Amino acid sequence: MEEAIIQRMGDVVRYRPPRAREETTATMGMVLFLGAWGMMFAAFFISYGFMRARLTSWPPPGVPLLPWKLPLANTLVLALSSTCYQLGVREVRMARASRAWPWLSLAALLGAAFVGLQLVLWKGMFAQGLEPGSAGAYSSVFYGLTWLHAAHAVVGIFGVGYVAARAVMGAYSAARHLSLRLWGLYWHFVGAVWALMFVSIFLL
Amino acid sequence: MDTSTVARAPHVHPEPTSFVWKYLFSTDHKVIAKQFLWVGLFFLAFGGTLAMMIRWQWAFPGEKVPVLGIFLERAGGMITPATYQSIFTMHGLIMIFWAITPILIGCFGNYTIPLQIGAQDMAFPRLNLMSFWTFVISAVLIVASFFVQLGTAAAGWTTYAPLSTNVGTPGPGQTLVGLAIFVTGVATIMGGINYVTTVIRLRAPGMTWMRMPLSVWGLWLTAVLNVLFVPVLGSAALLLTLDRLFGTQFFVAGAAGVKGGGDPILFQHLFWIFGHPEVYILILPAWGMISDIIPMFSRKPAYWYAGTVWAMVAVTVLSAVVYGHHMFLTGMNPLLGKGFMTFTLIISVPAEVLFLNWLHTMWKGSNRFPTPMLFSVGTVFVFGLGGLTGLYLGTIATDIYLHDTMWVVGHFHLTMAAAAFLGSFAGLYYWFPKMFGRQYNETLGKVHFWGSVTFITLVFTGQLIVGFAGQQRRLYDPYQYTFLQHLLSANRLTSYAAFLLAAFQVPFIYNFLRSVFAGAKAEQNPWEATTIEWTHAASPPPHYNYNPIPTIVRGPHELANPEVKKATGRDWAGQAEELPSGGEQAPQTAVPQGA
Repeated sequence: MEEAIIQRMGDVVRYRPPRAREETTATMGMVLFLGAWGMMFAAFFISYGFMRARLTSWPPPGVPLLPWKLPLANTLVLALSSTCYQLGVREVRMARASRAWPWLSLAALLGAAFVGLQLVLWKGMFAQGLEPGSAGAYSSVFYGLTWLHAAHAVVGIFGVGYVAARAVMGAYSAARHLSLRLWGLYWHFVGAVWALMFVSIFLL
Repeated sequence: MDTSTVARAPHVHPEPTSFVWKYLFSTDHKVIAKQFLWVGLFFLAFGGTLAMMIRWQWAFPGEKVPVLGIFLERAGGMITPATYQSIFTMHGLIMIFWAITPILIGCFGNYTIPLQIGAQDMAFPRLNLMSFWTFVISAVLIVASFFVQLGTAAAGWTTYAPLSTNVGTPGPGQTLVGLAIFVTGVATIMGGINYVTTVIRLRAPGMTWMRMPLSVWGLWLTAVLNVLFVPVLGSAALLLTLDRLFGTQFFVAGAAGVKGGGDPILFQHLFWIFGHPEVYILILPAWGMISDIIPMFSRKPAYWYAGTVWAMVAVTVLSAVVYGHHMFLTGMNPLLGKGFMTFTLIISVPAEVLFLNWLHTMWKGSNRFPTPMLFSVGTVFVFGLGGLTGLYLGTIATDIYLHDTMWVVGHFHLTMAAAAFLGSFAGLYYWFPKMFGRQYNETLGKVHFWGSVTFITLVFTGQLIVGFAGQQRRLYDPYQYTFLQHLLSANRLTSYAAFLLAAFQVPFIYNFLRSVFAGAKAEQNPWEATTIEWTHAASPPPHYNYNPIPTIVRGPHELANPEVKKATGRDWAGQAEELPSGGEQAPQTAVPQGA
């Protein structure tokens, strides 16, 4: 009977097992959320470009230059963290879920290392006399944007830590690992935003 | 409804029975909708009271405020310039973010989307719960801001820098309000994600995009705009908060700026990139709802359904590329200004399509005029006025004169306030029997309508007139300028209209409260409406709405079809109703005009 109905509905209903449908729905929600958050970060970058385009010199004269080596190292740390995360996901997909947790834990630790290095970066710039309000737009962009990004990284560390703990408990299987995939999307998003910040704030 | 269903296997939880889980922390979209409604109505009254104080000040500047003077004890019952700043700021913010948004989007979005598309709940019920309680946190912040030193925010609802930075408003009130805007934005985004996903994923079998009720279209496009542009407002609020609390200088300039400082104009860009879509966020739900309500009471299919849909889509797209018309006078490149002007004026084309479609739906219909229909027609009327007066602001040449006058205030109140207000009531009266399972008092509803539509039109027309005569907006005492002194009588008349508008809300409050708790029991489908929340769900609908989920066989307005009449004896057929003759795909468009 059900088959007849599905046939009758034709292209209106694509029959799939309910859980697969619900997982697609959840993924769509996550993608929309990241799209919204992408708009917020886009607005931050627009603000940066807008203010920089209007100033005659960037940085303003007599202001310490931002380093590029430490942020480059930090970019690599986040890239490595995302890679570890994906290796963990790969283990789960290959039905070797018990081998996933070391990769995921490493991803979380590298995330924590990123925030630690950011603290070093901020402290260093403070020591050189660059404070949030001491160089107008220049210092505002540097501190404001990296703070806001770091806040999202901290959320991500907790998220990655959570999925690592779930992996330790053996909660994931090749068929069921929705939260692993969703937190992965978030974590790669945080990494991608940082890559943009690295290029636009520290290199350009 | 025999076999025409596809069984869905959700992990259905039993209906909660304890008070806390049933009414406070419910994940049922219908309960959350009512929560948004109650909070929204509270803030509507709050913001309306603030509006009355503004009107009092313009009618009797510097005189003791009757009744409400008790809140102004320290100034001897009078409104001081500083208090006045706070009052008009908070009137705007509260009305937009804590009254219209929860009522139109929080309440009707939550209530109608799952019911009208045939879903058992939202796609993410727990996110929905979180959205409401996040909204409550923002409401607490906004109320708390009234009780801190130096009072609440005073930089205007637009919160323009540098007035909104520590330089202009050093008190903690402005900071709290900035945070409240961010938090309510988060709540709105949560809701938006939910609505967008729900409509894409949870439509009942047969509910194709072009069979969706127009309310769902309006609310869905609103949700898309919310997801895209509220985050931009969030960014502005966050950067402003960093400026106020952590010493950055994104928006600080001039003497307070170090090494050139930041840029206050940047705030205007961020604000209006969000702010212009926001105007449509607040009107699209009302457009959608009246596009459904008018056909039901004209007993005719909505004229050119697809045109209405694509017109709303066009407005949604265009709303993203016109924000610059708020900033013609900020030293914008004239060429850029012309571009923004062109896009702005192009919006009147889809708006005209909507307008003509509503009129054409009513034309030669078997029109019935209970309260929801009256409010819908009222919405069409005030929206027409609001749209026409907007043309003069979208055109640079006339905007140079009218910018920042009361003309602007009159224009945007006609669209965002009057049309959204009347549209909300159209929806509230229309779905009232469904939401509460009880019938409201029709006579009181009509009294409420005629009082509201008359005086709301007079209030905002009065503002247009004094604005055209040159009165700037936001003046504490306009009559300190000799060239405005002759406008006192016009302003006073407008204020009387405003007070009467407020008085005519009393029948609504009485009617609403009485009917919610003691109204006569409502039938399942008192309006003989065709959409499934009326044809397939009891009043009020049960937990999880539909079991089994109905299969949709036709568009949303199957009215006045002679074939249906022959088969059923009625002038309407439900969206999921299979006709006895087996003609389940009865043509919707083949209706001779004037039949």
